[in-house]
Amino acid sequence: MKKTKLGEFEELVLLTVAALQQDAYGVEIKRELETRVKEKLSVGSIQSALKRMEEKGFLTSEFGDATLKRGGKRKRIYTTTSYAHKVLSEMKEIRAGLWDSMPKLAYELKAI
Amino acid sequence: MTENNIHPPQWPLKFLRFFVKKEYLEEIEGDMEELFYDNVEKFSYRKARRMYSVEMLKLLRPILLKNFEFIQNINPSPMFRNYSKTSIRSLMKNPLTSFINIFGLAVAIGICLVVYSFLKLDYSTDRFHENKKEVFLITYFGNIDGTVQQSGLTPRPLGEMLKEDFTHIKKVCRVEDGNVVMKYDDNVFHERVRYTDPEFLEMFTFPLKWGTANTLTDINSIILSEDMSIKYFGTENPIGKDLLIKFSEHEGKAFKVTGVAQAFPKAHVIDFNFLINFENLRIANPNYDVHNWSEFLQATLIQVDNHEYLKHIEKGMDKYRLLQNEAQHDWAISSFAFEPLETLHERSGFIRDDISGDDNREGRIGMPIIAIFMLALACFNYINIAIVSAAKRLKEIGVRKVIGANRSRVIIQFLSENIVVTFFALILGFALGALIFIPWFTQFSGWQLEVSLLDTNLWIFLTALLFFTGIVSGLYPAFYISKFEVVNIFKGSVQFGKKNPLTKIFLGIQLVLACITITAAVVLTQNNTFQYNQSWGYNQKEALYATVPDYTAFEKLNNVFAQDPDVLSISGSKDHLGKNISTAIVHVPPDHQYEVNQLSVDANYFETMGLELKEGRFFKEDSENDKHAVVVNELLVSNLKLKNAIGAQFEIDSIRYEIIGVLKEFHTDDFFHKIKPTLFVVANKSEYAYLSMNVRPGAKKKINSKLQAEWAKLFPEIPFQGGHQEDVWTLYFFSVDRSEQFTMVIAFIAVLLACLGLYGLVTLNVSGRVREFSIRKTLGAGLKNITAIIVKQYIGLTTVALIIGAPISYFFTKAYLNMLFAYPMPMSLNGIVISLIILILVLLAVVSTQVRKVLKSNPVDGLKVE
Repeated sequence: MKKTKLGEFEELVLLTVAALQQDAYGVEIKRELETRVKEKLSVGSIQSALKRMEEKGFLTSEFGDATLKRGGKRKRIYTTTSYAHKVLSEMKEIRAGLWDSMPKLAYELKAI
Repeated sequence: MTENNIHPPQWPLKFLRFFVKKEYLEEIEGDMEELFYDNVEKFSYRKARRMYSVEMLKLLRPILLKNFEFIQNINPSPMFRNYSKTSIRSLMKNPLTSFINIFGLAVAIGICLVVYSFLKLDYSTDRFHENKKEVFLITYFGNIDGTVQQSGLTPRPLGEMLKEDFTHIKKVCRVEDGNVVMKYDDNVFHERVRYTDPEFLEMFTFPLKWGTANTLTDINSIILSEDMSIKYFGTENPIGKDLLIKFSEHEGKAFKVTGVAQAFPKAHVIDFNFLINFENLRIANPNYDVHNWSEFLQATLIQVDNHEYLKHIEKGMDKYRLLQNEAQHDWAISSFAFEPLETLHERSGFIRDDISGDDNREGRIGMPIIAIFMLALACFNYINIAIVSAAKRLKEIGVRKVIGANRSRVIIQFLSENIVVTFFALILGFALGALIFIPWFTQFSGWQLEVSLLDTNLWIFLTALLFFTGIVSGLYPAFYISKFEVVNIFKGSVQFGKKNPLTKIFLGIQLVLACITITAAVVLTQNNTFQYNQSWGYNQKEALYATVPDYTAFEKLNNVFAQDPDVLSISGSKDHLGKNISTAIVHVPPDHQYEVNQLSVDANYFETMGLELKEGRFFKEDSENDKHAVVVNELLVSNLKLKNAIGAQFEIDSIRYEIIGVLKEFHTDDFFHKIKPTLFVVANKSEYAYLSMNVRPGAKKKINSKLQAEWAKLFPEIPFQGGHQEDVWTLYFFSVDRSEQFTMVIAFIAVLLACLGLYGLVTLNVSGRVREFSIRKTLGAGLKNITAIIVKQYIGLTTVALIIGAPISYFFTKAYLNMLFAYPMPMSLNGIVISLIILILVLLAVVSTQVRKVLKSNPVDGLKVE
């Protein structure tokens, strides 16, 4: 957690990649994320997040097939690394821990 | 639309291909295209294309971009650290040349700082008023002597009429100045008071230190400036104290101090010493008629909220024009105009008699030119020395090039080094400017220059100056030095700096500039003596004068001195040469009008003041006929193109006058100003304001002290005003001295810079040839020989520079003198000769230091080097 910082947006993209599995390429990630966050996203923001995470070792990628719609250009399919899974679950745990401690804390605060 | 026609726009794609990393291109292009076709289905074709372009632009993110070469190669901080290290080392290694460079630039920068503060002062003058955009001075365009001129005076009733006729005008204030005698306890002084409306302090921003501004509505209150408060009351609060103002010998009135203004900002022209209510003018002068359209007032200002109203007001003012032109015909008004307070001072050079007078037009042009001259001189020094001294750094450049520096890198190195040097110069120059030049300039010019560290423009100016000077002075050496091939450098076959023609050109220009300034200084000094001895055309030396309040006072003094054997003649007059000259409009039939000087004098005046007659006669004493007679000067005769001057007639104020005498030419004003057409009329005795005396040679000191003693006895309440006639021009001679001093200082600096440059060049040259000189000395070369060798290099250049410089100096100095003086010294060649001699001597002195060094040195040491 300390060593590799994962931004909020990056985390969302990473999770989307993990969810999409074989379909995880640029435009598909964008579409999926847009429907979930209900907000327009730019190709640039998705792409830069992907490239950054690839550099950090959260993702690997390889070329997939080309379609007519893409003008004969191949897709790049992203897959999450095991390291990414580890970091993601760590973050989930930290969050879950924090959520668990919240009502207690609130109660104690009230008592004071 | 067919499928084939639908495609994304091309330019963003090209753009993308240029900027984005190659390995990402295929993926991103594909994504973009897919997205585009999706969008085409959802939205219109157009919108899809637009979205495509926008998305493309959004792709410009650092991580996706290509690493362009320049970005990849530069890791600037260690590079620049290294540069600054080497530049500081090379500065330390050659303290002399560094000193010359830094000091020269510092002097030039100091001068730039002076010029900056001067221009800033000039620009910000009278701009501190909060209402500067809403307050306007009323001016008019009038046809005077056949030319249309703008004047800042206004017909007297205008202010009141405006207030009544236009509701848009928020405030009106009239301003009139008058001389009075001010008395507090036993202190009596002549003072100038400002009669004005209470709105004055609302329209202008002059905050009060003590008291309240609106008390000016009371006709008995007076508001003081801080200076005046200190003059009369010291540091204590004078509110409530009484000041007695004597408007004339018999009219006096006590005023209660109700306000003291804070010290005025330095950048001001419009101010006041004493403010009293406008209505007091009626007491000061019982005949003062506010409703007289034919009389003028010092100034009328209005305040309006919206500039739109001005046009409306201007149209409505046409009726005043008619009223005024009906009342008097001499100063026909063609139109009125409003001058905003904000730009009044800037424009005041074009407006006659406006209250923001004091015109610096010459300064506005001249000062920047001087600054540029000086900066150019210093930069030339720098360039020359940089080129020549680069020979010592050839190896360094070679090494840099070998380990991979390309040419642009070397250029950047030299430029940044230069900026470091300029930076030191800037700090020193700032200190020089702020601590020496500006105080000196302020003291001698009277302009209240100041440097404020809080002024953001100053910092912008200094930074701009830093880069400008750094780059201008460093660009050529940087290009020149970086050009050399590494191989040649190491082979030692580069002949460096010695034969560079530009070095010679720069040195030549420096010498020419030095020649110009030194000639200007010499000629101005000569001119100064000339001005002191120039004849005024009348008796300057043996005359005394005194200001008298009225005719009875004149009579009293006259009675005392009429018997004195040392007094040759006494005369009374309304006007007096050098003190007060009125103007009049001469009408020559059929309809010509001329503006002329008018002096009202008595019959003795010509004799007393030593004015000489060319033809005709002077006035006769108490002659009724002479009331319509005038004595004129030659210029008036030639201007009016009169063939037979004596007996010619013209009208002034609808009264017919006849010329009875023509005077030999004399100076009506100082030598800065051209002689004006002038006429003398007989003064009404009740108007006498001056008494003048012609005394026996040698007796003027005695009579002057007697005059003052008698005055103190006769009029203890009124301070004496008067003295030697020659002292009338103290201010004039002061400003003559001032321009001489200023030119001398500038010349000194210019010569100093040129000498520093030459000194640096000669020193470098000599030190590069130590071995040669040592060998020559061992072979028996003496003083003559060595001097010849060193001088030979510069003699041709100097000769050419001086041959070019001398005529330029001659014409420049002549133009300069003609600009300053209406009656300059006739230019002779000896000024040029003197300055050439001075310059050559200085140059020889510079060279001789090096000759001496060579002569004194031991040739063995010279040969042992390396």
